[in-house]
Amino acid sequence: MNSTTPSPVVSVTNVTKCFGQVRALHDVTMTVDPGEVVVLLGLSGSGKSTLLRHLNGLEQPTSGAVEVLGQPVPQLRAPALRALRCRVAMIFQQFELVPSLTVLENVLTGALGRLRGPRLGLWAYPRALRLDALTRLDRVGLLDKAYQRADELSGGQQQRVAIARALMQDPQLLLADEPVASLDPESSAQVMRLVREIAAADGLTVVCSLHQVDIALGWADRIVGLRGGEVVLDTSTDHLSKAQVMQVYRDLEPDDSDARLAALDLELTSALVGTGSGNAT
Amino acid sequence: MTVVAQAPPEADDIAARAPHRRFPVDKLAGSGLIVAMLAFSVHSLWQLDFSWSSMRSSVNTAVTTFAKMDPISLPSAGDLMYLIGLTVGIVVLGTLMAALISVPVAWACAANTSPSPVLRWAGRAVGVVTRAVPDVVLAMAFAMAFALGSPLPGILAMGIHSIGMISKLFADAIEQSDDGPRLAVRAAGGSRAQEFWAATFPQVLPSWIATVLHRFDINLRGSAILGYAGVGGLGYAMRVAFQQFPEGYGRGLGIAIVIFVLCVVLEIVSSTIRRHLLGADPAGRGLGGTIARAATGDRPTTPRRGRVVTALANAGSRLGTSRLFSLPLRPVRALRARRQGEVCTAGRNVTVESMLTRPWTRARVRNLTWTWGAVALVVASWRWADVSFSQISWAYVLPTVQSFWPPDFGSHTFAEFAQAMLITVQVAFAAALLSLVLSVVFGALAARNVAPNPRVRSFFRVVLVIFRGVPELVLAIFLIMITGLGNQAGVIALAFGGIGLLGKLVADSFEEVPRGVERAVTATGATRTQRFAAATWPVGTPALISSSLYLVDTNIRAATILGIVGGGGVGFYITQASTVMSLHGQVTTLVMMIFVTVLLVEAISAWLRRVFR
Repeated sequence: MNSTTPSPVVSVTNVTKCFGQVRALHDVTMTVDPGEVVVLLGLSGSGKSTLLRHLNGLEQPTSGAVEVLGQPVPQLRAPALRALRCRVAMIFQQFELVPSLTVLENVLTGALGRLRGPRLGLWAYPRALRLDALTRLDRVGLLDKAYQRADELSGGQQQRVAIARALMQDPQLLLADEPVASLDPESSAQVMRLVREIAAADGLTVVCSLHQVDIALGWADRIVGLRGGEVVLDTSTDHLSKAQVMQVYRDLEPDDSDARLAALDLELTSALVGTGSGNAT
Repeated sequence: MTVVAQAPPEADDIAARAPHRRFPVDKLAGSGLIVAMLAFSVHSLWQLDFSWSSMRSSVNTAVTTFAKMDPISLPSAGDLMYLIGLTVGIVVLGTLMAALISVPVAWACAANTSPSPVLRWAGRAVGVVTRAVPDVVLAMAFAMAFALGSPLPGILAMGIHSIGMISKLFADAIEQSDDGPRLAVRAAGGSRAQEFWAATFPQVLPSWIATVLHRFDINLRGSAILGYAGVGGLGYAMRVAFQQFPEGYGRGLGIAIVIFVLCVVLEIVSSTIRRHLLGADPAGRGLGGTIARAATGDRPTTPRRGRVVTALANAGSRLGTSRLFSLPLRPVRALRARRQGEVCTAGRNVTVESMLTRPWTRARVRNLTWTWGAVALVVASWRWADVSFSQISWAYVLPTVQSFWPPDFGSHTFAEFAQAMLITVQVAFAAALLSLVLSVVFGALAARNVAPNPRVRSFFRVVLVIFRGVPELVLAIFLIMITGLGNQAGVIALAFGGIGLLGKLVADSFEEVPRGVERAVTATGATRTQRFAAATWPVGTPALISSSLYLVDTNIRAATILGIVGGGGVGFYITQASTVMSLHGQVTTLVMMIFVTVLLVEAISAWLRRVFR
């Protein structure tokens, strides 16, 4: 799906990000078109999470431009940034639900951007919103868990609650930061399938960071490979094989350390050999 | 070059080749400091006239007092109920006020929620200052701005003084909370306030409630002293009774016993709530907490390594002199078995509409019951204490606040105040020394690995629990009344409470000594005492040093209050100055002196902890 729509949802141009002496991103340029499902593929430390967090303003680039849904993210002041964040949902590796709250309350926090003022307790949210939140929960198949504490659910269930929370925003763009890295293979498959189905049904644009080649290949429209904060691969997944993806990493010159390349090799190989994800659960 | 085995070296050769021990300057200085402090404590005991003859005469006075006074009696049942209701009501409202104010203060203090460093600094200042000023001093100073007999000065005083501890512990809890949910709310477009109330506050709510309940216990113990500021309730009734000899003494003692029982009963209640509603360990190490644990059949399951810290944290809030430890919360719910990997499909007779009403689960009923019970308690307290804002003389409010600044010495000199401060510090050190000596003995015998047999251990554990259960201030008042001696009685009362606290810490820190070390020493053929000296004592010492200094810290604050009930020291001058508005500048001066002293002790304590790690 090599779309050539004129106005991309995400446009990152020459972004460099430094944390003190450490350079997390180096001259990254990429675009995401509407409706595209893109995976940022790379090992931990490759900068994919940092890149993702630039897209909703959780990080500021040291240099370069980030434009999301037509808005220059780094330049936005607080109200405009919050308005943009309402349209850009995010799910996290550790789900980031409030453990002591009910599932329903957690889903409702997705609507906070639309509401004014702090909310505490279920009754602080309008009935219409509660109904809306229940509908989203139904969509991820967890309606009957609405009044359970979030920490009573399994990891996969918690991630689905987080997805419902994201859907609560009626987002145009969904950011997913390693959504299945903390899940077992079965739950992983379920969560990834759910995201894909919702994206297809709602015409959602998705940018997802992953470190598992297998999942990425079967799931994404396009893969952007990151390594040491640089884009080393940007290609449609059509006709792309695991071997080809690995080749791209293999052919790279070791820039600073051989050990790093060896680790990469090992990781990718284990992803190939293993049944599915090469992650530790 | 090949390496060959060397011939066994000569003996004197070994001495020459062995690494020389580096001269441990800091350890030596630390030991010197400890010895100096011990010497000062002994000197203090001497100064405070703890000689044998003086002690004997005190005992004689006490015996004659007992002989002459009326038998122990209680007010009529109706009066007693009213007094208990009034005292509890004032404590409930005061604690609630502090709890509510503590939320924004803690929010400003916590590193992860504070909007600016200036606010952070301001929040900390509020915490430190409110903690430094004893509530009874505030109550005395406020008296002018309120109608006579109004409970408001007491409520406000308690409400302000408790902010320090609650906000500190609450800020710690906020800092330890998970940042992830906050980030998620931010990523969803939430504002700062929404981040706090939607993501952070629900996480720390259990810890907040536990802290507030714990503070409630402390405030109740300390409430008797408010009677000396004219605030009604059990404390006031006791004070009035003790003013009449001999007929009032029996009643005074009766009321003292009522206060003691009330403290224990409400500690049981709050420990039970903390345990069952919040999944927190009963933080109270007093009688109530112990009974609650026994009643619920729970053994403490805190990881052994953390026990001393836990105990310190609990101890931290004794007498409202909270040390900077956070309240431990054991995430019981997290231990609940999780159904990992369970795949759930929707639609078990539930529809979106049917789920709009929350089902009446047991948990919901329980939570609602507790919530409405708490609301009812607050309303009842308000009515019972007869709080009315018409009791405030608004014209006096601003002058009262202004009168505390600038600090001055009035007709006194710095030397006078310094002398008074010295006496207070001496009382604190003397009491700490008595506590230390006795609690090493009691604590060791209460430790599983030191006590000769389990029955001895159980016996001394119970003794420690009883010591802890006595409200020190009530004991001090009682002792001062019957012996007629201020500072001695104060030292004994403080020492009493100190044994309960320190003995428990000592016992716990001894029990924390790894078994293996002791076995290793035993295996070399060492005797029981040798084992204690070689393995148990050295490992337990650092904890002992820091808890003793911690005790000095709490004692200084408590010794201040003793001056108010008839002991000497700074408390005497504070009492004098706080009742007259034109003298309030002196109160500020004295509080600043106490504050500096306490900070000094804390600094020494921190340094010694580092040296004897």
